[in-house]
Amino acid sequence: MKIVVFLKQVPHSDARLDVNGDETWIKEDGIKFEINSYDTYALEEALRIKDAGEAEVIVVSIGPARVTQALRTALGMGADRAVHIKDSEVDGSDSLGIAKTLAAVVKAESPDLVFAGLMSDDGNFSTVPPMVAELCDMPSATSCLKIEASNGSVTVERELEGGAREVVELPKPCLLAVQTGLNQVRYASLKGIMAAKKKPMDEKTAADLGVSGQVGAGAAKMTIEKIYLPPKGEGAEILSGSTDEIVSALVGKIKEQGLL
Amino acid sequence: MGNILIVAEIQKGKLREATLELASFANKVAGARGGEVKSLVIGSGIGDLASELAGKGGGEVFAADDAALANYNVDAWTQAIRAGVEAAGADLVLISNTPTGWDVAPRIGAALDAGFVSDCFNIEADGGLTLLRRIFNGKLDARIKVNADVVVATMQPGATAAYEGTSDGKVTDLSVDLSGVRSKFVEEKQAEATDVDLTKADIIVSGGRGLGAPEKFKEVIQPLAEALGGAMGASRPVVDAGWLDHPYQVGSSGQVVTPKLYIACGISGAIQHLVGMKGSNFIVAINKDADAPIFEVADVGIVADLFEVVPALTDAIKAAKG
Repeated sequence: MKIVVFLKQVPHSDARLDVNGDETWIKEDGIKFEINSYDTYALEEALRIKDAGEAEVIVVSIGPARVTQALRTALGMGADRAVHIKDSEVDGSDSLGIAKTLAAVVKAESPDLVFAGLMSDDGNFSTVPPMVAELCDMPSATSCLKIEASNGSVTVERELEGGAREVVELPKPCLLAVQTGLNQVRYASLKGIMAAKKKPMDEKTAADLGVSGQVGAGAAKMTIEKIYLPPKGEGAEILSGSTDEIVSALVGKIKEQGLL
Repeated sequence: MGNILIVAEIQKGKLREATLELASFANKVAGARGGEVKSLVIGSGIGDLASELAGKGGGEVFAADDAALANYNVDAWTQAIRAGVEAAGADLVLISNTPTGWDVAPRIGAALDAGFVSDCFNIEADGGLTLLRRIFNGKLDARIKVNADVVVATMQPGATAAYEGTSDGKVTDLSVDLSGVRSKFVEEKQAEATDVDLTKADIIVSGGRGLGAPEKFKEVIQPLAEALGGAMGASRPVVDAGWLDHPYQVGSSGQVVTPKLYIACGISGAIQHLVGMKGSNFIVAINKDADAPIFEVADVGIVADLFEVVPALTDAIKAAKG
């Protein structure tokens, strides 16, 4: 069984977000990066399937040199092989451009399963995985909170609103975009980290994948014009002072609400 | 100028409020740039709902009515929406960003090689299309320009009011080729009943990732909840990490609560959480990050270390109660 897992390297969840000079993204210098939280659950699920039987787990990521760190971490957790799409031609791609790039990898690998995170912690687009499935002509399911893969098919529970779940059966090959909380993500062991250094990491360009001219800023149909801090509006009344003063003021407000 | 197609969603036998919000957006955009508003309703025995939508800003409503469409299915909906887009002559497709919407809309975007933007809270259509959405879990807003022959956008539920007034529209049958359907709906499971029902609590004290560890809930959040005579709640990351069970989760995929008092401790305020508690009567937010989105919905904000403020607050409440 072959499982391809998409990984995106994103700014660390605690990283300071400062808008860059042309207000089109955040400043990336000096901040820490990590694997997108949703993707860690996707990777963990693939590794659990691998632990339970024979499976090859291939992790794929797009981005500059720093992305190798994310891929090595994944290899340290147990993935077998990494594909790093490192090509400035892909920069500025919209979701469709990213999807076309990843779809080319999927078509080349011909996996049984493709796992991805539901969305990324930075863009929150939740767009690329189902697009890849459509481009690869395979069925998909998003927000997966339970995955049971058997011989020919996969049964998943999709998270709906209010705690409800939708149970869906899909034939393989299929693509699953997972929700956080699907499992408990493992840490890479020291042994795993050492072994990761020898595992294959292949670099690919847009040309290698046959998507030259279809990706990047030139092909993008949507562009970020501007990002900015949300306008504060009326907002909250911010209490200030010492802890005692704040607590005292707050107790007063709770009393005013008739709740004490 | 093409037409605008809105894709309806049915929940518990009724048109979702989010669908009527799409009608608002669509009519606003049609007014600004031209084109007719048309709609697509997918399901089984949905004639009445299609007529209803025709009268609520949906314009010509295409009804894909088939027993095989009784339950959501990604392949069937992809086919139905593609057929709807063609029948409607649409160059703009609006879908609600719900578990159904985010499941199928991207497939439509890829199938139509469209400009695609998800989870938008507004559309501006004067001089080209600009879509507004949030990034970094609500910490920043983004203006997205779209330049494409066909545009597919998913709209955030609750981002605008439902269509007001009445309109004239007709219902047209739409047949859909379902021969290529691969996935299969098995069943829908409701959440299990538990003792923890936050929807009945007058006071809720919730903790988020900022608590740092599961035992902190018992040490810090629970005492405050008890002192106030309220219930304890949590944001999604806390439940994902296994610190608390799902019934404690406040948010769009957990409990939607409207207590008299909601105190959010160490919760940044991602949109999924805000959806679950912004209807609370009085909201207090405690977070050391002054830019945390939670402060947008709070009545009172405290930018401080919750480990200093919350225990002190617990003591003060106990003292006040005597």
